[in-house]
Amino acid sequence: MTSAYSSTLTLAAGAVLICAVVVLWVTSVRSVLRVVATQGFALGCVAMTVGVHMGDAGLMATAAVVLGVKGLAVPVLIGRAAGGAPDRERRPLVNVPASLVASAALIVVAFAAARGVATFVGATNGALVPVGIATLLVGFLVLVSRRRPIFQMVGLLLVDNGVALVAFLCTAGVPFLIELGVSLDVLLGVVVLMVLAQRLRSEFGDLDLDELRELHD
Amino acid sequence: MVLELILALPLLGGAAVAGWRDHAARWLAVATNGATLALGVWVAVRVVRNGPLTGAEGVLRADALSAFMVVVIGAISLLASWLGVRTMALEVAGGRCSPRRATAYGVLVQAFVAAMLLAVLAANVGVLWVAVEATTVVTVFLVGHRRTRGALEASWKYLVICSVGIALAFFGTVLVYLCALRAGGHSASALDWTSLVAGARHLDPSVLRLGFALVVLGYGTKVGLVPLHSWLPDAHSQAPAPVSALMSGVLLTVAFYAILRFKAVTDAALGPGFSRTLLVVVALSSLAVAASLLLTQRDYKRMLAYHSIEHMGLVALGAAAGIPLAIAAVLLHILGHGLAKSVLFLTSGEIMAAEGTSRIDGVHALLARRPTLGGVFGTGLVALLGLPPFSLFSSELLMARAEFQVGLGWAAVAALAAMVVIFVAVVGHARHMLLGAPGPTEVLAPPPAWVAAPLVAGLVACGLIGVFAWPLSGLLHAAAHVVAP
Amino acid sequence: MTGAWPLPAVAAISVLQVLGVVAGGPLLVGLMRKVRCRLEGRVGPPVHQPLLDLRKLARRERTRPDQASWIFSAAPVVLVATTLVIALVAPLLATDPAFGWSADLFALVYLLLVGSVALALGALDTGTAFGGMGASRAMTIGALSEPALLVAVLALSVPARSSNVPTIVARSLAHPAWLATPQRLLSLVAFLIVIVAESGRLPVDNPSTHLELTMVHEAMVLEYSGADLALVKLGESMRLVVLLALFADLFVPWGVATAPGVGHVAVAVVAIAAKVTALGIALAVFEVAVAKLRLFRVPELTAGAFVLAVLAVVSALVVP
Repeated sequence: MTSAYSSTLTLAAGAVLICAVVVLWVTSVRSVLRVVATQGFALGCVAMTVGVHMGDAGLMATAAVVLGVKGLAVPVLIGRAAGGAPDRERRPLVNVPASLVASAALIVVAFAAARGVATFVGATNGALVPVGIATLLVGFLVLVSRRRPIFQMVGLLLVDNGVALVAFLCTAGVPFLIELGVSLDVLLGVVVLMVLAQRLRSEFGDLDLDELRELHD
Repeated sequence: MVLELILALPLLGGAAVAGWRDHAARWLAVATNGATLALGVWVAVRVVRNGPLTGAEGVLRADALSAFMVVVIGAISLLASWLGVRTMALEVAGGRCSPRRATAYGVLVQAFVAAMLLAVLAANVGVLWVAVEATTVVTVFLVGHRRTRGALEASWKYLVICSVGIALAFFGTVLVYLCALRAGGHSASALDWTSLVAGARHLDPSVLRLGFALVVLGYGTKVGLVPLHSWLPDAHSQAPAPVSALMSGVLLTVAFYAILRFKAVTDAALGPGFSRTLLVVVALSSLAVAASLLLTQRDYKRMLAYHSIEHMGLVALGAAAGIPLAIAAVLLHILGHGLAKSVLFLTSGEIMAAEGTSRIDGVHALLARRPTLGGVFGTGLVALLGLPPFSLFSSELLMARAEFQVGLGWAAVAALAAMVVIFVAVVGHARHMLLGAPGPTEVLAPPPAWVAAPLVAGLVACGLIGVFAWPLSGLLHAAAHVVAP
Repeated sequence: MTGAWPLPAVAAISVLQVLGVVAGGPLLVGLMRKVRCRLEGRVGPPVHQPLLDLRKLARRERTRPDQASWIFSAAPVVLVATTLVIALVAPLLATDPAFGWSADLFALVYLLLVGSVALALGALDTGTAFGGMGASRAMTIGALSEPALLVAVLALSVPARSSNVPTIVARSLAHPAWLATPQRLLSLVAFLIVIVAESGRLPVDNPSTHLELTMVHEAMVLEYSGADLALVKLGESMRLVVLLALFADLFVPWGVATAPGVGHVAVAVVAIAAKVTALGIALAVFEVAVAKLRLFRVPELTAGAFVLAVLAVVSALVVP
């Protein structure tokens, strides 16, 4: 906590994880979108901080892309998938208190699991690697415990953001061209999800995903 | 230039379909896929003689392994797009799909093929990742093409599960990149195959181990390996038959190609022990899952899908052995499985269009009622079950021999046990579908010759490769040495 | 550290702490009630009204349910006694109170827990529907808020490398930079939620309701009367003071006397009184502003506090 760099980085990375936990906490689509946008913004700040610190123009450009895609475009697209209807996660498979407690356990697991990589990377960046892994694990939890399509999209996004956070911290991001490809893929993936969610809604109406039981063995 | 041309061809075909929206344009797309196959063969010959080719300022690179995969993709996309013309014509004629959607289908299939070609031609693990993720994004609408409840459900599951998998693969890639950077790599080239393999000895073993495990888990999702395999039977059974053929025949093995590439790096850094243990575990559990679920199948497209999980398990087990003999056998198996499985999926599409159901107990006496379809389906199953003279017989034999050589005999025996169970299950289902006496009044038209011809040709190719492997032996040998020097 | 403080000073501080908590509890409750009434546009009873209530109740006859055993009568005593012990050993005025060595944060949290469990047992002991319902609701809330409290304080103990509360306070006074770290903020939020949940305030519980659908704490103490009820009310108000004072101690420790001397202690008395009063007023204002949560949403709040506390510990371990 000595330099401005490490405290900014800690703050931004911490915000990413807290947003992930808050996703578990909220049930209304509108608030979850706000949380997702905040997380994208925090992620962009992480990239920007690392980029400025290392004087890496490619990473700064990446940060701008991340801010645009994850902080703005993706939440807006998910919002369109929601169709503006007041939607709520009414009956998650794991209720909110239990999933919050589970997320606490996951955070501890992440910190235990990431020790090797954390020491390998070293310094503040290394110390924050577990934050990314914890975000990823919380994303998994959202994916398996939430039943609304929008919340599953958000879960995917959390997984993605967790991995991206690790990438920024460990390797200052992948080279810019590849990062462009990655962001494009994420964006297209979200668009596809959005279209699918709209089709699901027009086909099934107001639907919880575990009511999809056509295909099984 | 030739590598760029290979990538551009399917896109040109797609542009033709999008621009003309004409029946002829679809045949043009088929022709571009044929040209891809021809170019693939040409590249393969050149690579075996003169060593790797590069293109697009080092972004693309073709060694023997890439060239082999291009040949596989070319062959199967030719088959699938040929039959795709028929499928879409039937759908539009039957009013199940508008001409507009048929066009979109054609364009997406070509984009799908292009993404797979990019994946195998990429010189760089990052580009590979982008390409594999692109195959997911492109195929979602293909899986959901029919827009039924089942198709929507399958495409949602497919996208969500594969995105999770692919995110894990990205994580693994980042960790490998981290190792490479720390080992002194330059950020622009540290993700290239060649520099990764060359500098493998300096990579940090513990981080690399974690990275490889994540890669196997992540790309393993797209291969259809346990534990993230559950999307596969749903997607394969709901997609239109040509898409199932492409997915099962090549998409799975393209993802496996990624694992093979990372395996080469990991083995060079850590020795073969780690990747062997990991792959044996996923292979045997995939085989066990496939065997147990095949026994109770009631849907023949799902049956074929689980059969793909089985074959991917076998391929993973072969790769676990890791010696050049095993890798050559794995590649031969990839080609043989691709041909036989895509023929079977395409035939099952014809059967479904003719019979109107995909349930096993809804179809009977096929051999008597529809001798062409029944014959192709039955022969294809014989090939897939690994009976001679088809190439899967020889590749399975070679893989088993390699496994015994490296002390994985017990795993080969376990795999054989699973295959016996699968044999019994599939023969039981096939007997119900193929044999029996037809009703007295059933006179059914056979499919037109231009539909039957590619199906028969695919099986004949699979058989010929099994009997005369020599035209391929140089290529297989060179490709095996890329993975296991 | 004990060596620096003369015995009479320690004794005086202890007496001050205990007396302050006993007298301050009812006064704080009266003050909060007054603030709420003012904000709602009413005059409200005088601040010292709870004291008068206690005196009145103490003189009344106590009635007990027929089925109740000794647990019923013991519960209020245990509640008051455990809170008194905390008041005695916690570093409310000075960093070195009497028996400060025993003021381990685990011990303090479990003392609080003993009080709540005693009250719940007493409520169950009556065998009435309301008692059981109140006890079950209180335990539902407490099941997560007690661990959250424990973990939140644990996060503060990591940089101090000690789980002894006086030591933590002394070290945070010596390192003011600690007070602005992320883990501090996280555990502060967690602690605040726990205070609200534990002291039975809105939005978790409404202390002034007797509506059977919503009451938690009031359902538990429905069968108490006379001196027993007085003890329960006293104990509850003391708990609130102790929680607020601990909060003030841990997060804004300035004013706590680090060295002996009448002046220091006088400053400390004023400081702690001001801090607790300010917190109490803030809590009252907050109560007016929020609506009560539906009961099944309350565990979400306490679980959230728990996660925040875990995050605080983890970040304390990772970012030293």
